[in-house]
Amino acid sequence: MLHTLVIGAGTMGSTHANAYSKMKDVHLAGIVGVNYSKASQLAETLGTKAFHTYEEAVKELDAIDAVSICLPTPLHKEYVKKVADNGSHVICEKPLARSLSDARDMISYCKEKGVKLFAGHVVRFFPEYVQAKQLIAENKIGNPAVVRTTRGGGFPNASNDWYANFNNSGGLILDMVIHDFDYLRWCFGEVDRVYAKSSRGRVYVKVEYALVTLRFKSGVIAHVEGTWAHQNFTTKFEFAGRDGIIEYDSSKVAPVVANTNVSTSDGGVAVPESPLKDNPYYKELEHFIHCIQTDEEPIVTAEDAYKAMEISLAALESIEKGKPVVMDSKGKESIR
Amino acid sequence: MKVGIISFAHGHAYGYAQALTQIEGVEIAGIADDEKDRGQKVAEQFNTTHYVDYHELLEQPVEAVVITSENSNHYQHVVAAANKGKHILCEKPIASNLEDAKSMIAVCKEHNVILQTAFPVRFNTPIANAKKVIESGELGNIIAMKGTNRGTNPGGWFVDKAKSGGGAVIDHTVHVVDIMRWYTGAEVKEVYAEVDNMISDYDIDDCGLLTMEFDNNMFATLDCSWSRNKNYPTWGDVTLEIIGSNGTLAVDAFAQKTNVYSNDGTQWNFWGDNMDQALVEDFITTVREKKSPSITGEDGLRALEVAMAAYESSEKKQPVAILN
Repeated sequence: MLHTLVIGAGTMGSTHANAYSKMKDVHLAGIVGVNYSKASQLAETLGTKAFHTYEEAVKELDAIDAVSICLPTPLHKEYVKKVADNGSHVICEKPLARSLSDARDMISYCKEKGVKLFAGHVVRFFPEYVQAKQLIAENKIGNPAVVRTTRGGGFPNASNDWYANFNNSGGLILDMVIHDFDYLRWCFGEVDRVYAKSSRGRVYVKVEYALVTLRFKSGVIAHVEGTWAHQNFTTKFEFAGRDGIIEYDSSKVAPVVANTNVSTSDGGVAVPESPLKDNPYYKELEHFIHCIQTDEEPIVTAEDAYKAMEISLAALESIEKGKPVVMDSKGKESIR
Repeated sequence: MKVGIISFAHGHAYGYAQALTQIEGVEIAGIADDEKDRGQKVAEQFNTTHYVDYHELLEQPVEAVVITSENSNHYQHVVAAANKGKHILCEKPIASNLEDAKSMIAVCKEHNVILQTAFPVRFNTPIANAKKVIESGELGNIIAMKGTNRGTNPGGWFVDKAKSGGGAVIDHTVHVVDIMRWYTGAEVKEVYAEVDNMISDYDIDDCGLLTMEFDNNMFATLDCSWSRNKNYPTWGDVTLEIIGSNGTLAVDAFAQKTNVYSNDGTQWNFWGDNMDQALVEDFITTVREKKSPSITGEDGLRALEVAMAAYESSEKKQPVAILN
């Protein structure tokens, strides 16, 4: 039996806690939340304990083998180090950190303390993305040439509106588009150069929109769209190769659609759902737990998470400077 | 009105010829094509006279000509037609290089003939309706646009750079850039592009991804790749997504289709309005009423400038400024 603790009782904290509570070999030992009423409500539903602070949880619990850190990005480093100090393995939500130096520091620290550090790049566990990668690897579409991804919806709501503070969250590019950067790097290898444009500095309403071009060392050209300027959350991808095309659009996948009659003049509300027995977050966390138990290398490593951050930060630099950013030179800078 | 057509090298010639036959009071007085077999066949199909030499066609009492030759031949055909005082509808891209395009515009001005660039997408009904949404202001300020004009590699002279001036980028950049300019009245001031030849065996660009900065503080991207393979259910697409401060607008020019699954494969069959018909009708009206054209030679030049800047940017791996 592996004992887990979740720090953070927001959207991601709740997702992690729910997943752990369903796993057979895992005991969800508790949930920590600064918003204690939110944490205790969640703990009650899942039959576990709520704590005001991580320190309180450590004092009261007999064993904590692994800790999920589901806090705003700027808090990741502090908590990763605290957890590593106590000898627990760390599962940290993406992005690892706001800066590369913090991310490197976290990775080194966990190595030093002999604990594993996992990063929640959950797209690698979405079946449609896994299948597309497999089809490409099987040469179903020949050499991939021009690929496109889309991710986004409305502006995220969270505690203290922390996403809206660019210095804290890194905005859309570091917080969300990083999913596609990680996935594309998984499929096509290292990126050579990045060119990006975004809405930052162009409008002063609460929307963010970015279009990023990645050129991979393999030659693949990728168009990556990230949006907090739309209405419903959607993901899309298209891979065009020499011999074929793979396309996917989440808005067109609606195996269960419930429509309710509403007496107002604007009609009913449709709630589409794409159900799976185990959601991708569950699969991801189950895999990380398995890696802790067996000492296997995870599908996505902390180093991968670092590399994805490099691409995000290169995109932000490109937006700032209006020039393409070459990744090789980035690598050298980060070593210095 | 007597109208001539110079060359059936570009496939759009058939659509335009068909459109001419549908307009009352218009007669296809002759076609010129130096490919004898093709010319004879087409003349028979449209019940008109075939001239091997386009100069002979220009000697006839035609008021206007449609020029649908290879891109690099637009220049000589437009200049010859203008010299004879004929009004001109010229296929896109307006020319295979910027110098030719500029000379063509100057010659037509000098001879006081209409030079209209054939951008039929402006006459696609969903594309035109989307313009009304933008103009209504309900989207707020336009922040960005995301366009695609993917297609199937046409082969033939399109992949011979001497005749086409380039591949997917020159072929498919101009349509959507024209729409973006038309929607906003803004001009492209900088272009960054990744261009390559990764899909076909032909030695010509078939992958293109452009990022553009406009002079109204808007940015846009465009995928102009010839990336549709032979089993894709249709030839390609024209789509635009417009991101505004108050909302978004998605337009798909060819979404009006039925999906057909036969034993020969899957096909998307388009049933929307015929944009070629509307383009040709607009041109004929312009000639009849001696108006200035809805789509000018300059519009053709502006779009071509962006395509050329994309090639240069890809070569230099740097953004390229467009100075108007």
